[in-house]
Amino acid sequence: MATVDKKAVEEEGPILDETTLKEIESMKGAGQWSIVWRRLKKDTMGMVGLYIVTFLILMAIVSWFLLMYDKWLFNNVALTRDPDNPYSLANLYVDFWLPGMKEPIILFQHPEWQFADQVKLPPSIEHPFGTDKNGRDMFSRVFFGATISMALGFIGQMTTVIIGTILGSLSGYYGGLFDDILQRIVELLYSMPGFILLVFVIVLFENTNIPGGRYAVVVIFFSLISWGGTALIVRSNFFSLKQQDFVEAEKALGAADMRIIFRHILPNSLAPLIIIITLGIAGTIFTFAALAFYGFGDPNVVSWGDDLNRWQNDLMTYPWMPMFPALMIFFTVLGFNLLGDALRDALDPRLKD
Amino acid sequence: MSLKGYILRRTIYIVPIMLAITLMNFTLINISPGDPVLVRLGLIKCETPECYNAAYNKEAIEMGLLDNSLYTVPWFERYIDFVNDLLHFDLGKSWSYTQAGEGIPISKIIGDHAVYTVVLNLLSFVLSLLLSTAIGVVSATRQNSFWDRTLTVAMLLGYSMPLFWLAKLLMLVSYYLFNFTGVANKSAFNKPLILNPMFYKFLILPTLSLTLGGLVFMARLIRSQLLEILRQDYITTAKSKGLDRRAVIYKHAFRNGLLPIVTIIGNSLPGLLSGSVMVESVFGWPGLGTIFLEAAFMRDYPMMMATNTIFPFLFLIARLLTDITYVFIDPRIKY
Repeated sequence: MATVDKKAVEEEGPILDETTLKEIESMKGAGQWSIVWRRLKKDTMGMVGLYIVTFLILMAIVSWFLLMYDKWLFNNVALTRDPDNPYSLANLYVDFWLPGMKEPIILFQHPEWQFADQVKLPPSIEHPFGTDKNGRDMFSRVFFGATISMALGFIGQMTTVIIGTILGSLSGYYGGLFDDILQRIVELLYSMPGFILLVFVIVLFENTNIPGGRYAVVVIFFSLISWGGTALIVRSNFFSLKQQDFVEAEKALGAADMRIIFRHILPNSLAPLIIIITLGIAGTIFTFAALAFYGFGDPNVVSWGDDLNRWQNDLMTYPWMPMFPALMIFFTVLGFNLLGDALRDALDPRLKD
Repeated sequence: MSLKGYILRRTIYIVPIMLAITLMNFTLINISPGDPVLVRLGLIKCETPECYNAAYNKEAIEMGLLDNSLYTVPWFERYIDFVNDLLHFDLGKSWSYTQAGEGIPISKIIGDHAVYTVVLNLLSFVLSLLLSTAIGVVSATRQNSFWDRTLTVAMLLGYSMPLFWLAKLLMLVSYYLFNFTGVANKSAFNKPLILNPMFYKFLILPTLSLTLGGLVFMARLIRSQLLEILRQDYITTAKSKGLDRRAVIYKHAFRNGLLPIVTIIGNSLPGLLSGSVMVESVFGWPGLGTIFLEAAFMRDYPMMMATNTIFPFLFLIARLLTDITYVFIDPRIKY
């Protein structure tokens, strides 16, 4: 009779080593998102990306609030207006004031105010990033330019993804003629180099009168042109998911199509969407910066791309003027790329190398 | 189906796509706000409204918006005219490029400048393909080594660098090292180009920027593709047979990885064209990209229409060629 040598099995010890066991133990009962977060935390590069992105988003929000608050202060609280001193009638500085404070604290030089005696100054303690040819502080321009640059990236990418998701899920779920037409449109849009098509459309429509100025036109046409990639990925996800049992069960229970699409299938294809959004924001910020660099932005707006366009030919003589906006664009794109790569590995470990 | 039939079918398929693209561009120009005649007229000096109206009508008739009895020509008739002209290689006359008060025919401008774009793109495409293959193989076969880590970080940094800024930085570096900015001047384009040393000198920096731009994109993909293949069972088998490492990588791994890589490269071609627009403009390289951007600034509608017909056409041809290379790479694919 064959018996198992119990002693030998016990001596061999557990098949998995202790750290792996601990990891499995800690994963017990954890939701999908906490597992993803744990995987992300282990990825050094991904965490660097997350820190950069968080820092930049905070910077964009804080700078927006500061500028709005300063505007409100200047218009409503007549603290600094001294009729004998003509300088106090203009909003020279971005200040911070709370009720109860005697004097407002001067934080930054106002990004749009030009000081004629502070032209072309190299970086110093007073102006950490130098001043430009019109006497504006580059540090302030870069800080307050974050709002528009980041917001454009977010809004552009979110609009693109929303259009792509809706069209992609409808065509993936219903198939048929709608799917065929959508496929042809995507093919058409993809046979044009994107940047060239975007420049073409923006030149044609830049004088359209819509609220938001030129950048609104840019965002609208950007999202109308580049939803194809998202639509294709969502569509293929829907093709595989709609055969699954839970969809059959929903159908048997008599759920409406829209409910199945948006409440059941779409949440299950959230992972690729998150990756598309994160990596896409990097691409969108890059595209908008490129458009601004070649002069298709809005010169009246404080943003990194437009500053870069304005001072691009001064790189040899006054390198700090274009260098800092360009560095900010580089760091933003880098941060989103790092975070996106790490998220892709964390959400779908099969793709990891 | 035979290979010949497949190529024929694909070539014919280009026609409806090109028709759709030109129709889209044409419609966009037509629904855009603003009067193109006013753009074309510019600052004309007229004392009386009659003089102005006469000039306006003359211009509109010349542009084909009005017929000879001053009726509006419907847009589909103009589109049919456009396609008809296109089939005769007549792309109209430029508004901004003029000679003796007459617009230069666009087909002549494009014929003169297309060669610069093609030389630049082909050269940097081949270079970036070779270099990215080398980098991909080095980092995939020595995963997590010093070289792999260095190359991966360098690729990531390059990937996040906007291409136009990379070109600018190269210009700066070259200016400090060699006192040479690489901005093309007239001496670079004296004919014959092949015998002109200045042409090659000014070709260096644009090619380098465009190569780096494509390289960072492709090397990452080739690396991850090769890594995936190196984990397959047949690679282990080949190794355990005692085959040479080189033979395993180039005969077994690389050939199987080629197909997805070719797909990726085919999809990256529009990016290459967009990139060439950016790089050309930075270095003043007089290719199609510079012409397109200048035309866009001048609102030179016929020129924009023409470049927007040429670029997709070049891209579709390139994609057709990549699809045909599939057949030679993968013997399993039969048409």
